[in-house]
Amino acid sequence: MKTIPVEAYFAVSTALFVLGLLGMIVRRNLVTVLMSLELALNAVNVAFVGADYHMGLVEGQIFALFIIALAAAEAAVGLGIIIAIFRYRLVDSTDEITDMRG
Amino acid sequence: MDWIVFGTLAIWLICSVGGAILVKNPVHSILFFLSSVLATAALFLSLGAELIAGLQIIIYAVAIVVFYVLVITTIPWEKIKKFEGVYFKELSIGFPVVLIVFLLMGYMVVKGEFAQSVGKIEDNVREVGKTLFTSYLFPFEVASVILLVAMIGAILLGRKEE
Repeated sequence: MKTIPVEAYFAVSTALFVLGLLGMIVRRNLVTVLMSLELALNAVNVAFVGADYHMGLVEGQIFALFIIALAAAEAAVGLGIIIAIFRYRLVDSTDEITDMRG
Repeated sequence: MDWIVFGTLAIWLICSVGGAILVKNPVHSILFFLSSVLATAALFLSLGAELIAGLQIIIYAVAIVVFYVLVITTIPWEKIKKFEGVYFKELSIGFPVVLIVFLLMGYMVVKGEFAQSVGKIEDNVREVGKTLFTSYLFPFEVASVILLVAMIGAILLGRKEE
């Protein structure tokens, strides 16, 4: 029945997570930085649901549901912050926001 | 057969994520992100998690992606033209670091021991709903409060100051 080992799902999830992390580091645009964060959250969902399938449980799917809800909240607040930064500071690039540089 | 489905979905997923973090245009990046969300939903369906797959499509592919497109359209296009793309210096340093992190985590996954299977879920949606509304009722309610707070916060942050 279960021909695919759970390691395969964890490998895909890890690859997604590190790609999201790379996106958070390298993107110039604030909106796409936030999108890379969403990709990393999605990777955790893949790991949860894959482990769930392996174990025959449903708890991982419930945590994935909470993660989706939190991702929606995070997108709303993050994009609100980005709009506010753009409106008051007139920047849109991640290397131009230097107000809090020590 | 299982491997064909899994391989196709995994390659689709990795390719669309790679495109999302590397293409120049933010709108193309959002389209790649939409493609990766659909691939994730298909992966969930292949794992028998129908409820999460549906929620993934409804919340991510509809609500969040539309929200991102809306924000991109509020920013003037010439501003976006100025700041699109990636930092190449950070990419050249970050990619090996991220590759090492991936190899370390992969080693950990391959070497580790996994818990044994405890059963099999017959009716996914029913089981998830039952567990969600019995064992996890309080976190579910807390999530609704968090969403309300996030909504109020987003409205406060996004409105125009008088």
